[in-house]
This record gives sequence, structure tokens and C-alpha cells, in this order.
Amino acid sequence: MADRVVVTIGTRKGVFVADAPKTRRGFKLRGPFGPGVPVYSTLIDTRGKPRLYASSCNPFFGMKLLCSTDLGKSFKETKSAPAFPKEDGRALANIWSLEAGDAAKELWCGVEPASLFRSRDAGDTWELVPGISNHEHARKWEPGAGGLCLHTIVRDGNRVHLGISTGGHYMSEDGGETFQASNSGVGAGFTPDPYPEFGQCVHKIARHEDAPGRLYMQNHGGWAEWDGPGGRRPDIGVLRSDDHGKTWRSIAKGLPSDFGFPIVVHPHDPDVVYVMPLEGATRTCPGGAPAVWRSETGGNTWHKLNKGLPRKSSYFTIQRDGMDVDTLKTPALYFGTTTGQLWMGREGGEEWECLFDSLPPIHCVKATVV
Amino acid sequence: MGAEPTVTIHLTAPLRPYSGGVSRLEIEAPTVKAALGVLEHSQTVLYRNLCDETGALRRHLNVFVNADNIRDLRGLDTTLAAGDVVTFLPAVSGG
Repeated sequence: MADRVVVTIGTRKGVFVADAPKTRRGFKLRGPFGPGVPVYSTLIDTRGKPRLYASSCNPFFGMKLLCSTDLGKSFKETKSAPAFPKEDGRALANIWSLEAGDAAKELWCGVEPASLFRSRDAGDTWELVPGISNHEHARKWEPGAGGLCLHTIVRDGNRVHLGISTGGHYMSEDGGETFQASNSGVGAGFTPDPYPEFGQCVHKIARHEDAPGRLYMQNHGGWAEWDGPGGRRPDIGVLRSDDHGKTWRSIAKGLPSDFGFPIVVHPHDPDVVYVMPLEGATRTCPGGAPAVWRSETGGNTWHKLNKGLPRKSSYFTIQRDGMDVDTLKTPALYFGTTTGQLWMGREGGEEWECLFDSLPPIHCVKATVV
Repeated sequence: MGAEPTVTIHLTAPLRPYSGGVSRLEIEAPTVKAALGVLEHSQTVLYRNLCDETGALRRHLNVFVNADNIRDLRGLDTTLAAGDVVTFLPAVSGG
């Protein structure tokens, strides 16, 4: 019986695990595990006995994948981490995304330099997914500020959607064998061509299983004042697709900024979507006043949620995996900041409280109920 | 009996989980590069912590032969003599 809320918090100094009863009162914090080492991605795998995974991106000794089978009381390394074949010539720089596959022990892993790996044994061995890793575009992608990373894996049956910075959105319709760039309507602000075939700086993609074909995307926005070649391109930052990612349209109207990193869908309502607008120039909260914005209409209208959040002097960033929502009937949102606070918004973000205020800079947050 | 000099690989604490817990390995190798080659085959898990998939020494590791950084000697081509101690140390960096 599910009775604990579990939150994994990947930070610059290791991974922490917080848990609480379903009341969400009295969160207890454990960690850091993999101490001192950055963690850019975690996965709470609730298929069967829950497992927690964390990428441990050790700048000295290379990439590790940590796994916990006791809900974060302890972690140990899997037998191996993804690695390129020696003859490939590329070397793993970071692990940016972890997702569960179809089979019981199947995992998918997105890395830097942008490539995809797959494990069929819960992370003990890995194989390169050549359809995207060796895609004809792969050597043309360029790194964004966070590196050239494959940071988003969204699976929908035989469809696999990938977010690459800066490569854009790539889609497979054959279970990951082949991939095609699918960026119609996805703008880029840093190239003369506002809508290139690929090369966009997608930040995050999300979907809900009850809305087949619909996807939400937080793209690299913040180009309303652009006066370079190709002209202005406002509102390219927050997008929606209703045809399985083949075409995209803006849903950014009404937001204070179309720049941001995470985008999160309500666990029980595909029309409810959350973003965290940031100023494009600074990647921090507009006016120093953080707010999550919620649409209950699939992006047609937006409402600010900031009760309990600071009203001034708060210039943190929420990174692409820094926000998530738990799965209780009335869910709570969570976001972690680059200044080390973990915030929780009860009632779907209506009322915020800071759970922990002095963690290391937070890269990623995942929440669920186990 | 091998013709190559026998040297000691000294492993600091973070590396010992990948060497079966031992802190010292005795191997035969005429250069630092050759020592890494020996480890690639005899200590594959440990080796992966020292070198990336391309075989390049990890960027933030320093290698010392006795008290000298190989950066100040001949790099990976630094020759080894019997009794030398080779140590892999994380660079002082981060924040």
C-alpha cells in the first residue's frame, strides 16, 4: 500500500532523499549519497519493488550510476555506467536523464555528449542506441550552456521523444530504432533561421498518458527583443503539440516570460501544466519574485502561484529537472533552486513552504508516492 | 621472470572500491603509459576510473611518480624504474 511521499534531490554535492507520510508533514532528509559528486538526474522506479537511481557524475573518476533498493537509506553503484565503444571516439561527460523502459529491468539513459543508452538489467550493463547516438545530425549539434546533452526521454509506447540541447526534438516511432528531427513550429533564437530543421535548444518535454498525442515543451525562449538576422521571435519558449510531436504551437501568451527550464504536467489532469518563468538574460526569477505559473486549460490561459514564496530579492534558477509533482489525489509540486532550497507547493501549488533551505545547489527533483 | 621494472601503484581511498579494497598493486611496466595498459587488462574496473573510453587519462587526475608530477617529466611517456611508486590523485579543484 502506497503510504510514503518520496522526493529525490540531486545536488552539486550528491543525492539526498526526503520522505514523509502522505500528510507531507515532517519530511526527513537522508544523504548526501555519492557525497561531493554532482547528480544531474534521478529516477524513482516504481515498477515492482521501488528502486531509486541517481547519476553520479564524478569529474575525477568518471560516471557512476547509484541504485537504492531501500528507499534511499543506502545506495551502491551498479556494475557499470554507460560508456561509448572505444572506437567511437567520444567519452561520456555527464549523465543527464534516466527513464524506465517497458521491460521490468529496462532503463534508458541520456548523456553528454548527446547520446542515448539502454540497459536491460537495471543498470548493470549498457548498450548504445545507435539510431540517435549515431544520427546523421549528431556531429552537427552544438552544446548549450549546460553542454551538449540528451536530457529528456519521453516514452509513449513505440514512440520515443527526445530533447537535446542543442539539437531539438527527435522522435522515434519504432521503439527507438530510428529517429527523425521533429521541430516544426519549434523556434530557435540564436540562428538566423527562426525555424531550422534541427538545432533548437529544447529544455524539457512532458506528456500525460490520458492525452494521446499531446506534448508540452519548454523551449529556449526569451527572444522577444531579438534584433539580429531573421527578426523578432517572441513566444517560442512554451509550446504544445497535439499530433505526437510532429508540429508545435506556442502556448506562451499570458506568461511573464517564455524562458524557463522545467515543464510539468499534473498527474491526474492532462490540461493542467506548470512552468517556472525565468528572465532570459539572467535565468532567474522575474523581478526577484519567484512564481510557478499554472494553466488549467492546456496552455490557453495561465495563473500565477506564489503564495508563500518570496516576493523580492530572490534570484535563483530552477534547472530543467528541478521541478516535479507527486502523485497523491491532490498533488503537491516541488522545486529545487540553485541556491539550495527545496520548496513544496500544496494543493497543486496553491500554497508554498520551504522544506529545506540550505542544501547544495539543486540540479534535479523527483517526487512520487510509494 | 619479466624484464620490465616492478613498480607499485598506490591507490588512494576513493579508488580502493575498484581494486578489491587493496591500496597497493605491484605491476611490471617500463612507462606510465605501459602501466595504464597493464591496468586496462588486469584491473578493468579500476582502469575505467583512471581513463575514459578513448583511453585518455581523465582530465582532473594528476599522476605522480614518487614525488614528481608526470606533467613535469615526460607525461605518460615517463619511464619507470624498479621500486618506483605511481600515484593517481584528484587535482585540487571544485567548489
